[in-house]
Amino acid sequence: MSEPEKALAARSLASCHDCALVVRLPAGRAHVAARCPRCGAKVHRRKVDSLARTWALVITAAMLYVPANIYPVMTVTSLGKSQSDTIMSGAIYLLQHGMWPLALVVFVASVLVPLLKLAALSGLLISVQRGSSWRPRDRTRLYRITEVVGPWSMVDIYVVTILMALVSLGQLASIEAGLGAVFFAGVVILTLLAAESFDPRLIWDRAEASHARS
Amino acid sequence: MPEADGREHASPAVADAVIEERSRLSIVWVIPIVAVLVGTWLAYRAFTERGPLVTITFESAAGLEAGKTKVKYKDVEIGAVEQIDLSADLSGVVVQARLGREATRYLTENTRFWVVRAQVSAGRVSGLSTLFSGAYIGIDPSTEGRPQRHFQGLPVAPVVTSDVPGRLFTLRAKAGGSLEVGSPVYYRSADVGDVVASELDESGNHVTVKVFLRAPHDQRVRKNTRFWNVSGIDLRLSPEGLELDTVSLTSLLIGGAAFDTPKDQDPGGPVEEGAVFELYPNRRAMLQPKLTVKRPFLLHFEGSVGGLVDGAPVEFRGIQVGEVRNVRLEFDADTNKLRIPVLIELQPERIALNSGGAVVSIGMDEVRRNWDDLVARGMRAQLQSGNLLTGQLAIGLDFHPDAPPAKINWDAPIPELPTIPSPIEELKTGLSQFVKRLSEVPLEQVGNNLNKTLEQLERTLASANALIAPDSEAGSELRRLLRDLADAAQSIRLLADHLEQHPEDLIRGKGAE
Ligand SMILES: [Zn+2]
Repeated sequence: MSEPEKALAARSLASCHDCALVVRLPAGRAHVAARCPRCGAKVHRRKVDSLARTWALVITAAMLYVPANIYPVMTVTSLGKSQSDTIMSGAIYLLQHGMWPLALVVFVASVLVPLLKLAALSGLLISVQRGSSWRPRDRTRLYRITEVVGPWSMVDIYVVTILMALVSLGQLASIEAGLGAVFFAGVVILTLLAAESFDPRLIWDRAEASHARS
Repeated sequence: MPEADGREHASPAVADAVIEERSRLSIVWVIPIVAVLVGTWLAYRAFTERGPLVTITFESAAGLEAGKTKVKYKDVEIGAVEQIDLSADLSGVVVQARLGREATRYLTENTRFWVVRAQVSAGRVSGLSTLFSGAYIGIDPSTEGRPQRHFQGLPVAPVVTSDVPGRLFTLRAKAGGSLEVGSPVYYRSADVGDVVASELDESGNHVTVKVFLRAPHDQRVRKNTRFWNVSGIDLRLSPEGLELDTVSLTSLLIGGAAFDTPKDQDPGGPVEEGAVFELYPNRRAMLQPKLTVKRPFLLHFEGSVGGLVDGAPVEFRGIQVGEVRNVRLEFDADTNKLRIPVLIELQPERIALNSGGAVVSIGMDEVRRNWDDLVARGMRAQLQSGNLLTGQLAIGLDFHPDAPPAKINWDAPIPELPTIPSPIEELKTGLSQFVKRLSEVPLEQVGNNLNKTLEQLERTLASANALIAPDSEAGSELRRLLRDLADAAQSIRLLADHLEQHPEDLIRGKGAE
């Protein structure tokens, strides 16, 4: 067996997730689902529909990102005077009051990170779809960073929910979550799911294929 | 599974997967589609439910904030301020507010806007909630009139909004007192309306006060209803004692008006909106019958008139027939004397005739004749104690047939009514005379005389005492005298015995036995 043949043979094999049986998958056929002959579990070499799912989730997240930044995230009512803030206006408020480290945290965690995540995922998806073999190692690292950093965007939502529960003194002082918070939570969750549904092995598949072709 | 194990071990050949057909389209695309649909629907709704944009001109934007300040009706949010700009001529601010769609038909030329801010004036606190929540724009909607989108904001909240049923009345007063816009109007101490305007009329002589009475209390205003000012405290010392007349603490601070119909009067028929009434300065003035005829008299009293004040009643046997107008000190240059003339006003309208009506419509000659007659029969004025507690005095008129004769001098600028000293005055005079006489008695001399008499008496008694002392000469003589007297009595007894036995001795004499 030549090296490419070996590689091809290796690519058509997969281990069952449930019973660990190594099964041979039919090569080159799209839109088929393979089942384990022993336990009946679905067997696939790569995450199913990884690209389509990731794309759908990334696009939805990008759409939600707009209202998440337009609608107020939090309405603070203090002594009857209520003030609604969007994510950006909150960060600006903090900056104006000299709390720039906090403003930076809010800006990075709530504005920059989701945006960069969306950009990173879109970039990975495009690069995979175009079959790019450009620095697969760095792209894999980018994916790992995206996955690790993702949950930290939820900090904002946690802060709002905790404050809501803590500060509810009626007219005196109360904090309510705005519509923006719902959208923002949607953005964070969808980007998490998108990162989850992306299969980084696809990066290497293309790299391998191009390597094999050359 | 030994069989399976065996197979795996026995043959390194890999099992083939079971193949199934799968739909070509991933279900995951439903998520963005739903997101798009929901987003479109939200945007469509937001756009179609956008209400009208109104521009309101205010003097100042104090407390207003673009994007935050709300427009509220009955404390329900119906819109928000979107933008605040200075007007072109810098005379005010132009506020753009987006209202709810349902507000469209209430935006007419009669609709009014104003800014609700916290207002703490004496007696009235309003908009306190705005202290915390910030100012908001109030609206008094009206469906009547042409539709309009540009409004001139009111500087202050209107006292009466169109949603309150009731009627307006006009009051005319000599002085506005402390009636201000917003001062309450009371009916038997219940707050039933407000002063909505108070202004000096063109002539400058009267203050025209417009009051709004809320339904159904506006029906209580009848033809003979009287309004009076209840501003402040009406506290005065009168012969009736300390009088405090105030409707409420609020009226004390911000003034107010009250209305009622005098008890003894027919309330009269209903009145139209906008009817004009006189505003009396106080309740007392309102209660007094309208007195137009006043007959002045001058009184001169001996002694102090302390306690006699302006307005003190002039009474005939306890019934008020007039008032004291003026009490002052006068120097008579001719006689070089100080006098205190008391000017009184008799109000003949207070006196009813037995034929009905009042003593008004008679000529001056007849009046003089009547008074002359009254004075001839002993009518005199007298200072009376009106109130023992406060020392207030009143003037009493009554008949004193035994008073020295007097006459009214009609030629004087103000006729003078004869007076007699008051009972207190008489008592005072009598008492002072008694004290004066008492002071004239030579008490010292009387004392000296008395002393001398007593000394003599003492001496007399001492000599008498010496006379009867046991060791004195007179004493022994007295005892001897008594002894002799006893002897004499003995002899007389013996003689009597002898005569009893020998009565003949009286004739023959004592014979020898
Ligand atoms: Zn299996």
